[in-house]
Amino acid sequence: MATEYVLRMGDGKRVFMTKDKIKEEAIAGAGNAVDYGLVPDLSADEIDKIVEICAMPGKSVAVEFGMEVPVTHDIGTIRLDGDQGNSGVGIPSSRLVGMMMHERAFGADTMELGHIDYSYKPVKPIVSNECQMMEVAQQNMIVPLFYGAMPNMGLYYTPDGPFENPGDLLKAFKLEEAFASMEHSAEHLTRDIVWIMQKLMASGADGVNLDTTAAAGDADAFGTLNAVKALRAEFPEMYIEVGMAGESIIGMHGMLEFEGSILAGLWPHQQVKLAEKAGASIFGPVVNTNTSRSFSWNLARAITFIKECSKVAKIPLHVDMGMGVGGIPMLETPPIDAVTRASKAMVEMTNVDGL
Amino acid sequence: MDKQALLKELSDAMVSCKADVIMAATKKAVDAGMSSVEIIDGLAAGMTEVGDQFERGKLFLPHVMMAANGMQKAVDTLEMGDAGATVKKVIINGTVEGDVHDIGKSIVSTMLQSAGFEVHDLGRDVPIAKFIEAVKEYNADMVGLSALMTTTLNGQKDVIELLKANGLRDNVKVMVGGAPATTTWAEKIGADCYAENATEAVDRAKELLL
Amino acid sequence: MPIAHIMASGMTGLRAGGDLVARMELSKSMRIKDAKEYVAKKVGVDVFDLADEYAMRDVREELGIGVITSVPGAPKGIAAKMNIEKVLGTKINCCETFRNQLKQ
Repeated sequence: MATEYVLRMGDGKRVFMTKDKIKEEAIAGAGNAVDYGLVPDLSADEIDKIVEICAMPGKSVAVEFGMEVPVTHDIGTIRLDGDQGNSGVGIPSSRLVGMMMHERAFGADTMELGHIDYSYKPVKPIVSNECQMMEVAQQNMIVPLFYGAMPNMGLYYTPDGPFENPGDLLKAFKLEEAFASMEHSAEHLTRDIVWIMQKLMASGADGVNLDTTAAAGDADAFGTLNAVKALRAEFPEMYIEVGMAGESIIGMHGMLEFEGSILAGLWPHQQVKLAEKAGASIFGPVVNTNTSRSFSWNLARAITFIKECSKVAKIPLHVDMGMGVGGIPMLETPPIDAVTRASKAMVEMTNVDGL
Repeated sequence: MDKQALLKELSDAMVSCKADVIMAATKKAVDAGMSSVEIIDGLAAGMTEVGDQFERGKLFLPHVMMAANGMQKAVDTLEMGDAGATVKKVIINGTVEGDVHDIGKSIVSTMLQSAGFEVHDLGRDVPIAKFIEAVKEYNADMVGLSALMTTTLNGQKDVIELLKANGLRDNVKVMVGGAPATTTWAEKIGADCYAENATEAVDRAKELLL
Repeated sequence: MPIAHIMASGMTGLRAGGDLVARMELSKSMRIKDAKEYVAKKVGVDVFDLADEYAMRDVREELGIGVITSVPGAPKGIAAKMNIEKVLGTKINCCETFRNQLKQ
C-alpha cells in the first residue's frame, strides 16, 4: 500500500493522500488557473516540487538558506488587542504596543498602523488621532511603517453612504443609475484616501497600504488606483502598497477603464501592470482558496497565477498569504503545516519579493 | 435551419447580452416551428454560459442583467399554454444580522434572479426574525444566508434554529455562503448546501429546487 | 499565522536585515535580488548574511541602525532611522519631518 501523507483541505480539515493523489490534485489546480487566467501551465518539475513540499516529513518547513524575503504585515497594530473580526487575540494593549511587539518580538520586516474599523472612510473624523499615533510610533519604531486600511467602497452606498446601492439598482435593471452611483462613490473614495494620506504623510508615515483593493468591484479598483496616481504625483518618495481583495476584479460596472484598460475581469498578472502605471511601489496579488478543494490543488493554482504575475511585474510583489488565500486554508487558525508549506512553495517557486 | 442550429443561435444571442438580438433569435425559432419549451431551453443554455463567462471575468454583472432582461422579454412573447402555469421557485436572500457586507450577497441575488428564480433580497444586517417573516410572506422555497465575518457566521445557525422553532425548516432549503463558511460548516449547522461563489449558488439552487 | 510566515520565509526584521531590504523594495521599487544586493553592499556583508542573525547583529550595532534587544544608549526609533538613511542613501519621511521641526 502506498504511503499516505498528511494534507489539508481548503477549509483546513486534515486528510491523507498518496503522492500520486497529491500530484493529480496539483496538476488539476494548476490547470484550473491556466483555464481561468489564461496563464502558462506549471512544468512537470514544478508539479514535482509542489508534491515534494507537500510530502515533507516535518510538521513545519522553511525556505532554503538565502531565499528569505521580507514579510510585510497588515493590521498588526490591532492583532493583539483586536477581536475575532480582526483575527485579534484580545490581549488588552495599545496600538503602539501591538506594533512594537511585532517589530521587536516577532521579527516583522514592516509594520502598519491601522484603526479598529480598518476602512478609509471612517478615518476622516478621527484623522487627528491617527496622526498623533503615527507620530508617536515613528519616534519609537525602526521598521518601515505604513498607514493602512481598506478602500471598502461599499461604505459609500446606502445605508452607510450617500449613494444608492448599485446592487439594488442593477437588480431593478436601472443600469445607468447604478453606473452613476458607482462612479460618484469612486470619486469620493479617491478624494478621501488622498486627504487622509496627506495628513498622515505630514505626520511622518512611510506610506500607505491599500488593503483589499477592489472588494466592491471594478469601481473600487478605479477609485483606489486614481488615489494612488494622485498620491504618487504629490509624494514621489512615498511607499505605496496596493493589495488586492480577490484574484479577479469583479465587474460590477464593467466599463470603467484605468490608463486605457478595462478593469473588470483582470487577473493578478494584468492587475500588477495597472498598479505599476498608477505609481504603486509594491503590489499584493491574491489567489483565493477554494474550501472544497485540497491543499495541493489550491497551492498549485495559486503558484500558477503568481508565477506569471511575478514574471511580468517590474515592481516587487508581496503575495497575500493570509487566511483563505495563496493556498492557505480558510480557517481562523490556519494549520502551521499548511501555512509553512504554502510559504516555502510560494517563495521558492515564483520569485516573489515578499509576503 | 435545423433545431440544433437554432438552439445554438438562441444560446449565442443570450451571450451577446443584447435584448434585440435575443428577441430576433426567439422570433426566428418561433417562425421555424420550435416549441416554446424548446426555445426556453435554448435561452437557458445561453444564460448558463453567461454565468460561466461571468465567473471567468469575461462578462460582467450589467451583462448578466441585460441577458436576463432580454430573456424575460423573449419569454413574455411566447405562447406557453399549460407550461406557462409553471410557478417560479422563491428564494429569500440576505446577509445575517451584525454583518454589513452586501456586495457578494447582491451578486448571488442577481445571478439567482437571472437564472429564473424569484428572489427577495432582504439586504444586509438582517435581523434573524425578518428571515422567518419573509419565508412566511413569500412562501419561500429556499433561504440564502450570507456572512463575511467569523464573528457573524453564527447568525446562519441562528436562522436555521428559528426556522425549526417556527416549524418551517422542513418546508425550505437553506443555502449558506460567505468567506468563512465552508461545506463542513454547512453540515455542522444543518444547512442543505454551501456555495463557494455566485455561479455555484445557482447550481446548488437548481439541484435542490428544480 | 504571520509569525509562521516570518519563521518559514521571513528575513526576521531587526533580528537580521529584513527591514533594510524591505525599505529598498518600498522606497525604490527594487525587486528582491536587487534590493538584497544593494543592502548587502551598503552594510558591507554578503547577500547570504542579510538573514543571518549572527552576521547582522554586530553590523547593526556598529552602524547604529537598531538591534532587536534593548541596549541602553544604542540608537533606537528615529535615531536609528536617521542612521539607516545615511547607510542606505535613502530619505525616510519621518526623519525629514523630525528634522523640519528642529529649531536652528
